[in-house]
Amino acid sequence: MATTTAAVTLTSDLLSDNMSVSATTTCMKAGTTADGLDQMEYGYVEIASGTAYDIIGNTPTASKASKLYVKNHSEDETYYISVVLDAQAVGRLYGGPNDTGDWMFIPADFHDANADVEITATGGTNKICYALFHEGTVLVAS
Amino acid sequence: MATTATISISSDIAPGFGGINASMTLAQGGTEIDIDNTTGFQRRKLSAASVVDLVTMANELVEPKDSVAAKIYIRNIGYKGNIDKSVGVTIGIQSEPIGKLYGGDWMMMPLTCIDADDVTATPETADTVVLEYVLFYEEN
Repeated sequence: MATTTAAVTLTSDLLSDNMSVSATTTCMKAGTTADGLDQMEYGYVEIASGTAYDIIGNTPTASKASKLYVKNHSEDETYYISVVLDAQAVGRLYGGPNDTGDWMFIPADFHDANADVEITATGGTNKICYALFHEGTVLVAS
Repeated sequence: MATTATISISSDIAPGFGGINASMTLAQGGTEIDIDNTTGFQRRKLSAASVVDLVTMANELVEPKDSVAAKIYIRNIGYKGNIDKSVGVTIGIQSEPIGKLYGGDWMMMPLTCIDADDVTATPETADTVVLEYVLFYEEN
């Protein structure tokens, strides 16, 4: 079985005592306990301001257990990408100095043809890294 | 200190894939100023296969600023030590499903914090499941 694990550590001093949360998950295929995600797509792109793009070219099989990671590697904190799913605005991922820019890690449903993850850059050319872990895509015939 | 989140992904799917290690410092949109508000860490127990608001934006006691740099962390921790990776809870914004958190799965997602953009949770079954979550946002 292919094994993909994702771990997060979250710390904050916004409360009166420091908060620290750690979690790790092994990414399994939908509805299974013994079979891990076994396909992936990994890329790094530079996206100019203004035009919306689908971050994933081939649509993964709908309603599975795909996991999507996206990070904004732009060094300018005023740069950001807007993330939209099926015309629903999700939020923004800003760049940051010393590679402290925002990232997201979400389960991606891709529940129909409109549910591609769309990003639009603002501020300048944004540098975006992404990885999709999945269990099959609808490949485009040549 | 500030609010920071680091992610480490390892995988043996693709030969030569070296993994992903990344960190972010949660800042206010377009600035290097630390993000300044949080709901604190919360838990929500769900025992029905019906949609609920995990976060109702209009009900936040401190009004979040719209369309900037808010983030939410959510984890499906199962129930009383039983973490079932074969069933999950669909997380959404308004009526749009984002994806399903199976037992043990976690997510970190940006949010608009617009009043209509509530964060929803829909368990796949009526079996009890608990979600942990924390929202970081800017005060309006």
